[in-house]
Amino acid sequence: MTIQQIKNENALTVALEGRLDTMTAPELEAALKTALEGVEDLTFDFEKLDYISSAGLRVLLAAQKTMNNQGSMKVKNANEIILEIFEVTGFSDILTIE
Amino acid sequence: MGNGMTKKKTVLQKLRSGMAARIIGAIMLLLVVFGLVVSTIGFVSFTNAFKREYATSTYHMADTATALINGDHLEAYLRGEETEEYLKTKENLDVYCHKMHVSLIYIILVDTSDYGRFVSVFNSVDNTVDDSEYTPWELGYKRDTTNDEYRGKYRMMYEQTAPYETVYRIKTTDGQHSHITTMVPLIGTDGTTKAILCMQRPIRELHDARRPYLINIAVWTVLMCVLTGLFAAIYTRRQFVKPIQSVSDEATRFAKENTKGEPLGSISRIEEIKNLARSIDTMETDMVNYIENVTSLTAEKERIGAELELATRIQYAMLPHVFPPFPGRKEFDLYASMDPAKEVGGDFYDFFLVDDDHLCMVMADVSGKGVPAALFMMASKIILQSCAMLGISPAEILTRTNEAICSNNQEQMFITVWLGILEISTGKLTAANAGHEYPVLKQPDGRFEFVKDKHGFVIGGMDGLRYKEYELQLEPGAKLFLYTDGVPEATDESGTLFGNERMIDALNKEPDADPKRILQNVRAAVDEFTEDAEQFDDLTMLCMEYHGNGGSEKHE
Repeated sequence: MTIQQIKNENALTVALEGRLDTMTAPELEAALKTALEGVEDLTFDFEKLDYISSAGLRVLLAAQKTMNNQGSMKVKNANEIILEIFEVTGFSDILTIE
Repeated sequence: MGNGMTKKKTVLQKLRSGMAARIIGAIMLLLVVFGLVVSTIGFVSFTNAFKREYATSTYHMADTATALINGDHLEAYLRGEETEEYLKTKENLDVYCHKMHVSLIYIILVDTSDYGRFVSVFNSVDNTVDDSEYTPWELGYKRDTTNDEYRGKYRMMYEQTAPYETVYRIKTTDGQHSHITTMVPLIGTDGTTKAILCMQRPIRELHDARRPYLINIAVWTVLMCVLTGLFAAIYTRRQFVKPIQSVSDEATRFAKENTKGEPLGSISRIEEIKNLARSIDTMETDMVNYIENVTSLTAEKERIGAELELATRIQYAMLPHVFPPFPGRKEFDLYASMDPAKEVGGDFYDFFLVDDDHLCMVMADVSGKGVPAALFMMASKIILQSCAMLGISPAEILTRTNEAICSNNQEQMFITVWLGILEISTGKLTAANAGHEYPVLKQPDGRFEFVKDKHGFVIGGMDGLRYKEYELQLEPGAKLFLYTDGVPEATDESGTLFGNERMIDALNKEPDADPKRILQNVRAAVDEFTEDAEQFDDLTMLCMEYHGNGGSEKHE
């Protein structure tokens, strides 16, 4: 998985590529830990993300909770498989999905 | 005896192949070559100096002899005139010849047309000087000169281009009769050359002096070779061979034993060997430390591995895994399985009787894997069961479990849960879904189909959530299939997912088989699909068949 971050003042776009699963989720978690400081508008671009596992959902949930306190967060360009995972796990109710 | 021979041979081989032997051999060879060159140069220059010195002294003797002869009267002597003067001169020359220790003195008139003939006037012989057997030439003795060297030198004497000339006759074999012949012109009062005075002198001294010189040089060369060889042997042994041998021995020992030895330290004053020894010492320290590190790391890894295996076993033991689980109950049949991906995982199934008429079934999946997921799974399982045993509804169970987990969830872990309670007497199933996969249901005479139930959010994700429940009526012969995402998300080598459709197909392969067979079919389909790809996620499944109240209407 590759993580690409584009920061524009206090807006951050995180584009992910590959699989976000048990092996790669800690990498994203570590990256977000520092990257989210001062960010008010967080966007996850999932255009090139193939798959998300529960470990990945956990990182998204943590990010959502962080952003609840300091701004807003949204997820865009997620594919069918990922949208279904969001649906099944109820994440579609708590995430802003575009 | 044979043993001794081989031992001797190995020592010899050792010497031949050893460093010292090669160095000493090279030095000795150089010394021999050096000795040969030096003695050759010395020999040649010694010979030249000796000859030059001899020629000069002979010239002076010959020059003095010319004073005894009246050059202007030579022609007269030949004609037989002035006999008294001739005899007097001859006597003087004989005495001179004898006193001066020369073999021959002869005065000759050379035919100047081509210097090919001469006539002898005087000839004094002293055979005692060189043990020779010359017969004196008589006055007027004529002889041809065929030797070009002599002819050339005669010409030079007559033309007076050199004060004297010398011819060397050196017999190198025994030095017998080696001699030089020095010739000087006999100049008349008119200044022209009237004749040539030749003086032949033995040169045995040269030979006699050269022999000891050669022996001297040979002896000294040999002596120097031996001394230098000995010195080189001792020096190289002490300075090079011994230190390198110690380094080599230490390296060999270390390669065998892999333990820290006595440090080599300063075994040599030679910088390169010192560095080598220091490197070996450093390498040994580093290697030993490294080996210790690796050993302790491996031990640590093994310990962790053993503990993980124990954790997996405890986790597995926590799940009900004796089938059939309730042999006395004919109203339903149930089978479940869990195959963890690698080590401990976060998936689990559970089932238990809340009371005589209520069977609770749980299928859950903790986010992530490994020890954290396993620990979280244990806590979740206990909380879920504890809540269920209170006799409350599935929605209430999930709501309370969520509260309990959210109250202490620093690590933001969460768990998806499907929980259902079957009223055994009626077949009424009440269920609630916290972000878990859709359950699959097969009614009698139907096929396996998804139940697109209403999903709540995962448990542990957010506190204060209220879950909703729904009801399903199971007819006798109905089958319920529960699973975790490891089944539809099993992946083949190209990354393709197994998917819900393949799962439903596998379930419907033998839809009327018993629960155990149903799970085996799914497992076989997944294995066939993934082939050699590594199993990413746990495969956890549960199948329950409802036989109806009393169990007598078992569907075949």
